[in-house]
Amino acid sequence: MSATTATIEQPRGGPADRIGSFARDNAWTLGLLGFLAVLLGFTKFANPNYGLDSLQGTATSVLPLALAAVAQAVVVISGGIDLSISSQMALTSCIAATLMKGYPGEGVAVGIVILVLLIGVVLGAVNGALVVLTKVPDIVVTLSTFFIWAGFALLVRPAPGGAAADWLKGLVVGGLGIDWLPKAAILLIVLVALIWIPLSRSRLGLSLYAIGSNPLAAFRSGVAVNRTKFLAYVITGFVAAFAGLSLTASTGIGTPVPEPTYVLISIAAVVLGGVSLAGGIGGVFGPIVAVVVLQLIRDDMTFMHVDPNYGLVAQGLILIGVLMVGSLIQQRRSRA
Amino acid sequence: MTDSRIMRTLAGVVTVVVLVAGCSGTTASPTPTTASTGPFTIGYSNASSVGNGFREEQVCTAKSEATALGASKIVSPINIIHRDTDAAGQLSDLRTLISQHVNALVFNPNDPDALNPALAEAHAAGIVTVAVDSYVTDPNTWNLYNNQVKYAYLGAQWLFKQMGNKGTVWYTRGAAGNSADSDRDIGFNQALKEANAAGGTIVVQNQGGTFTGWDPATATSITNDELSSGKYDQIQGIWASGMGAQIVDAIKAAGKPFVPIADADIGQFVNDLLNPTGYPNLVGAAVTNTASVGGAGVKLAYELLTKQTVTASAGAGRPNTILLDPQILDNTTADGKTALQAWVSVPNMDPLWPLSLSIPTWTDYVPNTVPASCSGAGANPTLAPTN
Repeated sequence: MSATTATIEQPRGGPADRIGSFARDNAWTLGLLGFLAVLLGFTKFANPNYGLDSLQGTATSVLPLALAAVAQAVVVISGGIDLSISSQMALTSCIAATLMKGYPGEGVAVGIVILVLLIGVVLGAVNGALVVLTKVPDIVVTLSTFFIWAGFALLVRPAPGGAAADWLKGLVVGGLGIDWLPKAAILLIVLVALIWIPLSRSRLGLSLYAIGSNPLAAFRSGVAVNRTKFLAYVITGFVAAFAGLSLTASTGIGTPVPEPTYVLISIAAVVLGGVSLAGGIGGVFGPIVAVVVLQLIRDDMTFMHVDPNYGLVAQGLILIGVLMVGSLIQQRRSRA
Repeated sequence: MTDSRIMRTLAGVVTVVVLVAGCSGTTASPTPTTASTGPFTIGYSNASSVGNGFREEQVCTAKSEATALGASKIVSPINIIHRDTDAAGQLSDLRTLISQHVNALVFNPNDPDALNPALAEAHAAGIVTVAVDSYVTDPNTWNLYNNQVKYAYLGAQWLFKQMGNKGTVWYTRGAAGNSADSDRDIGFNQALKEANAAGGTIVVQNQGGTFTGWDPATATSITNDELSSGKYDQIQGIWASGMGAQIVDAIKAAGKPFVPIADADIGQFVNDLLNPTGYPNLVGAAVTNTASVGGAGVKLAYELLTKQTVTASAGAGRPNTILLDPQILDNTTADGKTALQAWVSVPNMDPLWPLSLSIPTWTDYVPNTVPASCSGAGANPTLAPTN
């Protein structure tokens, strides 16, 4: 896995050098993009009806998963992991749907969205504070909070239901004027750009990579490791709230029982997208592409009349394959 | 990946996706709504309770009906997405099937309202939509399901009569938020209200009911909790929502005496009712909740595609709705036992499947051949059509 961090300086030279450098630095992601292109070609073969109009459905389908993958990528880059993402999504989705049902009105919904995003920040802050203060491994803390957030979601909404503002639903369904420009894809790009570009250019972004790569070295370099780790979880909670809102927007309801595949796919997409589970390497673009790849694999299985549950098997095999390839690359590099 | 390149790369991938997916050069035209000859393609979505006997049989009967109707009417095998997911996941599944430009979508909805965006997209593409087992609120979709209010009412009415219209009942339910479960709650409470209005003194031990999620392991677990907490000793009856066999087995394992129980026509439960040696003094009633709605949904989709006249049930309470009336049988009389015995006569029936394998006028396959022809959700049946 060779996705580089935001901190690596690019060599200056001619256009050919720059292209070569870009290709080397982003080999994994470019390879994944190539695979996506091949997969789309195969999808067209498996389902000749798959066309531009189908992209709308694919984009709407992957939006919550892609946002979950972005949320996961941020915390994994910092060297952590968040198993509570799916229950954060369920809780924020339920709060949004319940409030929008209880307090109808398109304008009020704007305030509710802001409130839900703030709740996402709080959920992330609790995760981060527990990880930093207790020194209990991230995986244990977030597994515990998975159940806590899931419990709160059931308290907010004992059963699926609620409502969503029309403008919120309109953000994710359909095309932006033309069929081949899905609103969901545009929304994803805008959200990720607004969150990730400023973050990755900031001192905090640099610190995320630093503590993920080598916390001790980062500490000795003056990076506030605990604060950075805390903020990584805060950002993850914030993005997970967006993912929860995207669920409400696409379904018009809140579902209290967390869908476990969101967290599983977010981790699979992070790995497949070139983010090192050890931290310090990767970005958010690869995981987004990986989510689309995983969705298309499942779709293709449906088109070929293969039981879609084999899609889970395929995702597991891909995950193992990617980890093995990544490990082999690391071994070869360390020998060289 | 460097920051400055992210947006450019994002734009790049959108371009790649658009170019590759759109290599046909045009957007696909919707399936014409005037199609009336066939063969038709059908997409089928079941998005929860995979492994549950009802859902497995439902998917199986859909495949069986497609085969029974014949290749000149329905393209077989039908395309099935059968997995556990939430409403957003089922939306995704429906859109996957829409992208195949199927002629009809038959689906067991996870939620009455959440799927409406995809259903609207289906209608815009000229696709017929049929919800089975539960209803949706989309006005263009036909709903075909068992009358769940009546299902619960019949079982509860029988149970309260067995209890002498007094005592405490343990109320176990299905999945929270599922419309079938909500309807059953209405029927149960209606029977309870009527019994108490007629002088009864029936109390529900667990107000609002305890949800099993229609998961056998959960049903066993909550029954064990009921037994170990001592609450079981205070009840005089159990109303179950399809998990009666698991409840009865847990009671038997705990060595406790049985109380009257009303449940669905699940094979294992009916066998228990007919097994006085293994389950001594077990008194129970089974209400039909046919899983053949899967097959019936395929038949309804075919009739809609061929522009046949379909009549909605009177008093269904919502448009475009066909309600299937349940029947109740118990083991308290010789006639009841004989009738129950007839239900379990289908050879090789999975014990966790409902026993009512066909619906008059709505299914065309030979019921007895279904279990043998459909071993698991992935199998393709080879059934002899009856017409």
